[in-house]
Amino acid sequence: MRFVVCVKQVPDTTEVEVDPETGTIIREGVPSVLNAFDEFALNQAVDIKEKMEENIEIIAISMGPPQAKEALNKCLAIGADKAVLLTDKVFAGADTWATSLTLARAIKKLGKIDLVFVGQEASDGNTAQVGPEVAAHLGIPQLTFVTSIESIEDQNIICKKETDEGFIKIESPLPSLIACMPTPGFVPKIPNIREIMKAKRKPYEEWDHKKLGGDSSEYGLEGSESVVIKTYSPPPKGKGIKVEDPPEKAVNKLMEYFEKEGIL
Amino acid sequence: MAKTKLSDDRDLTEEQRLFRESILDWAERNMPLDRVIKMNREGHPYPKDLIKGLADLGVIMGTVPEERGGMGLTWKDQAVIADVIGYIDPSIATAAGFMAVETGWGFTIDRYANEEIREKYVKPAIRGDKFIGIATTEPGGGSDVSNFKCTAEKDGDEWILNGEKTFISGVEEAKEIGGGYWVNVRTGPKLPEAPHKNMTAFFVPIDSEGLTPTEPYDDAGRNAISTGGFIMEDVRVPDDYMLGEKGKGFYHTMEGFDNARILIGASSVGVTRRLLEEAADYIKEREVFGNPLAKYEAIQFEFVERYTEMEASRLLVEKTAEMQDVRYDEEGWLERSGKAQTYKPTEIAKWISMIKCKVPHLAKDTADDAMHWLGAAGYSSEYIFETAWKGVMSYCVGAEGGANIQKIVIGRETLGRDYVPYK
Repeated sequence: MRFVVCVKQVPDTTEVEVDPETGTIIREGVPSVLNAFDEFALNQAVDIKEKMEENIEIIAISMGPPQAKEALNKCLAIGADKAVLLTDKVFAGADTWATSLTLARAIKKLGKIDLVFVGQEASDGNTAQVGPEVAAHLGIPQLTFVTSIESIEDQNIICKKETDEGFIKIESPLPSLIACMPTPGFVPKIPNIREIMKAKRKPYEEWDHKKLGGDSSEYGLEGSESVVIKTYSPPPKGKGIKVEDPPEKAVNKLMEYFEKEGIL
Repeated sequence: MAKTKLSDDRDLTEEQRLFRESILDWAERNMPLDRVIKMNREGHPYPKDLIKGLADLGVIMGTVPEERGGMGLTWKDQAVIADVIGYIDPSIATAAGFMAVETGWGFTIDRYANEEIREKYVKPAIRGDKFIGIATTEPGGGSDVSNFKCTAEKDGDEWILNGEKTFISGVEEAKEIGGGYWVNVRTGPKLPEAPHKNMTAFFVPIDSEGLTPTEPYDDAGRNAISTGGFIMEDVRVPDDYMLGEKGKGFYHTMEGFDNARILIGASSVGVTRRLLEEAADYIKEREVFGNPLAKYEAIQFEFVERYTEMEASRLLVEKTAEMQDVRYDEEGWLERSGKAQTYKPTEIAKWISMIKCKVPHLAKDTADDAMHWLGAAGYSSEYIFETAWKGVMSYCVGAEGGANIQKIVIGRETLGRDYVPYK
């Protein structure tokens, strides 16, 4: 079997600060990390590979600037067998449509794939659109908010999926795309030094738009259907109140507060 | 982890950045600063879960060639690892016991050992199942090798060792999980004009018949790993447990010290960076007379001095680690390319001595400064500074070589051999 895991390198959100004047994220000096949702997806793929008797190849793929290789190196250390970085100035400024088109074309180029793993969303954009759009471009079913994979048998996958009401089990034929949603207790695998060194020797390729085919106008900013007019931070929240009384007293206090503030 | 970040990783390779990321992630889960402080208070032996955890993480003896159970890392790689180990454990129990000692000496033992020692001791130590280290200091002499009294006499195809070794790291750990030591003894008469000659190194298992560990010391710091000693009474080791050549034990031992000292320097840089980051968080927040402490030059300038010295030390360690890579590369021990320059071992020793006599002191002085900046808070074990101060002091007073003896090496290599004081 062959799995593809789509990953993105994002700014470390624990280190991000917003410029109070421009309202934009200060990226200078902020370290980049593997998107946590994608890391969960990769961990899922590696777990299956370790559990299943069948031989599984995991290919990690990312679109980004040359430094996104770092994120792919980490994927190789965690357990991916091969990595492909889609990097080209032409890809710059892509919205979710152009990004998903680029990823889908690369996945097609990889040949027969049984499962495509993506993170539910990326911690920098939080659109949650790229995964489903990749599935649409590939013409395969998509399973979103997947918290775990129950089984892969007879060309079918059964997953546990989070819904507004709780969880459901859902079955889909292969190939499918699954968008993975980290569970609260998720502990990502830490690659050890030996795995990091082994990763150095695993196949790694960089592909540009020529390799993927199509016209350059289909990629990046030019190929994007949406335009960002302005980015801004929401206005800072006012100072909250803290109620530390026993429940009955606390409820009364809160009700008084809500009434006073016109919330209720 | 501290909010202030002083790391500069731009000159690291992608792999080295990942080493750092993995070790920091591991430490966050397994060895946060409060556990380091607690471990130091509770004392040895070093917790087994951490020995195993560090081994699984792959931070021990990475420079041992891959075909013999290591990872074939460069000394520069291992120095990056040592730096992070110092950063996560400023008490330096981890850095002293499992980074510098096991890696420096493990690599050197592996280099000169037979297959049996490699299989029975080195490989298990890499896996965290055994402890290996160095036992060279004696009650009568450490830096002064002329007073070494331990002996080995040949008896058939065995050697019989007698004497006492002291101030040895990890004896209690080795007793508990098994292991052994690089032991330097006399195999010929002491020559007054050259007391370092006629010494030979052997590998001595901790459970050898006739070997009795002495009571561990109650040290000021780095208490999570033990410091002890042992007495050898007719301890028999096979002939092929000799490490290197007969009569060349002193030179082989110096090679082991070279390796360990680079990593001590790297760990001390990591300790210094952690202390500066932790202190920076405090002095930027704590207000005195209407301003944060960091706004006062008396404190800011001291901070800046230590930071500058730390960066200079980092460069010193990196350069020296690269020299050591060239040394082994030219011997064909590590696969590297693009380095053609040859350094004499004494030239490398000079750089290593500069590291050993300066960088641990920097870490100790930084802890000292930070305690002054924080006042009573810094002196308490609520913060890491007092634990670090007591820990790194062991590197200053002598662990892996006293500072003053390093100055003699530097003097010899700069002013010339005619000016060596004790000759």
